[in-house]
Amino acid sequence: MKYVLLIYDNPETREAFFGEGGDELMGEMDALMKELTESGELVGTEALADPYNTKTVRVRDGVPAITDGPFAEAKEHLGGYLVVDCESPERAIEIAARWPNARFCAMEVRPIMDEAGTEM
Amino acid sequence: MKKNVRVEGLLREMVPRVLGALVRRHGRFDECEDAVQEALVAAAIQWPDQGVPENPWGWLITVASRRLTDRARSEVARRRREKAAPLPEEVSLASGPDEEPAQKEDDMLTLLFMCCHPALSAASQVALTLRAVGGLRTAEIARAFLVPEATMAQRISRAKQSIKTSGIPFRMPPEEERADQLRAVLHVLYLIFNEGYTATSGPDLERAELTGEAIRLARTLHRSLPEDGEVTGLLALMLLTDARRPARTRPDGALVPLTEQDRNLWDRKSIREGAELVADALSRAPIGSYQLQAAIAAVHDEAARAEDTDWPQILTLYGILERISDNPMVTLNRAVALAMVRGPRTGLDLLETLDGRLTGHHRLDAVRAHLLELDGDHTAARSGYQTAARRTTSLPERRYLEAQAASLAEPWRGPDASVEDHRGARRERRKT
Repeated sequence: MKYVLLIYDNPETREAFFGEGGDELMGEMDALMKELTESGELVGTEALADPYNTKTVRVRDGVPAITDGPFAEAKEHLGGYLVVDCESPERAIEIAARWPNARFCAMEVRPIMDEAGTEM
Repeated sequence: MKKNVRVEGLLREMVPRVLGALVRRHGRFDECEDAVQEALVAAAIQWPDQGVPENPWGWLITVASRRLTDRARSEVARRRREKAAPLPEEVSLASGPDEEPAQKEDDMLTLLFMCCHPALSAASQVALTLRAVGGLRTAEIARAFLVPEATMAQRISRAKQSIKTSGIPFRMPPEEERADQLRAVLHVLYLIFNEGYTATSGPDLERAELTGEAIRLARTLHRSLPEDGEVTGLLALMLLTDARRPARTRPDGALVPLTEQDRNLWDRKSIREGAELVADALSRAPIGSYQLQAAIAAVHDEAARAEDTDWPQILTLYGILERISDNPMVTLNRAVALAMVRGPRTGLDLLETLDGRLTGHHRLDAVRAHLLELDGDHTAARSGYQTAARRTTSLPERRYLEAQAASLAEPWRGPDASVEDHRGARRERRKT
């Protein structure tokens, strides 16, 4: 079962990662990434640039309107994601709980829709 | 490179025999497995061009042995560079005599037990079985499971590492562990089958080929253990389920429920074979869950029309299955059979007992909605289908459930419109 783990950032995570003790947090992430790679659970991962660089695009009546900043106006923003393929939802939650952002902001665990299905 | 189907088939047949012979001779499962994969690649390139060698088994053994030797030599050289280690004895890996025929099937069996060892995770068991016993390449397995090749390669190497560190020997498990381990093997084959069976058309075609692979492996296992009722039962279940494949999806990938499938599209040959296998198993082996599931599939498959289905018999079979397996999904299916025999209310009452055990599972909502629909409570059925549609993580299932909900929307009642007309129109719509 594949899940995308959405990594949320807020001002506190910035402080934590770039302030004192940041190296330790990075170390935690590296260790977890290594574990997921070796177990064959990691499908992919990317970090996203600061929302400063985000453009939101809307098309209304065929006319595109482009604004600076993320779509959702919130203190929190999407900082990156992991895609994992693991045995149970519990395991996906466990991975999310170990990602440092879970302590400072939040992680969102979302199942990926499958192209396959069984007849009802 | 053009894929040569005949060569591919031959190579896959050969893999467990070649690997088995190598491991028996040299030990070191992980290294032998790599060497066999390399030999396979060489064969896949050479054979279609230069023809299949007279003794393909011997050819593969020789090439794989040579790889093992090369590897051992470079390992020795590396160690000597690092520290002046004394030269070990000559690595002798020449190919032996032709295989002993009786050994072939035993090797396959031993390999299956090894790949499905409980020390490995389910994902690793599946990946390693497909590679070491099925002869598939890592890239092919990765494509079938829709993950990057690197991810699949990791699962395989982790599995091989676990075998090495747990010291799992290359031999049949001791008698007292055999039954449990055989159950694990059957479960892995069942997982492979299901992964392929649930795949629909289009981009999932490679994934769908897993059913064929699972059936092939189950057949080989059945040849090794013809007396085992559950092995026979699993093979029968696969054949009887796969027989319906041409009818279970529309060309656009939309799911067709069993009752609405065009039974002319079902594969009669597979149905006959599956039904014979399960009848044979049930008549002489101790009863087991795969045999019962196969028997249920056979009852469905042998009904000429959906309305001819022998529901009382299906209900009985689910009753027995429920007693031996204690799986809430079995109870869920029994509720459907119960509804067909004694009316939807009885089925709905049985579903009540599942709240708690299956709460939040889309299948419980979907079955409840279906029974409510049969009972005539369209408002509740519609909201049940909608809940199920939100809960499923499968695109075609969501599409099907949304369509069910939409078809139960308040119909426009013109002067002559009756409920019957509405249902007829719905059936027509589904066909298009």
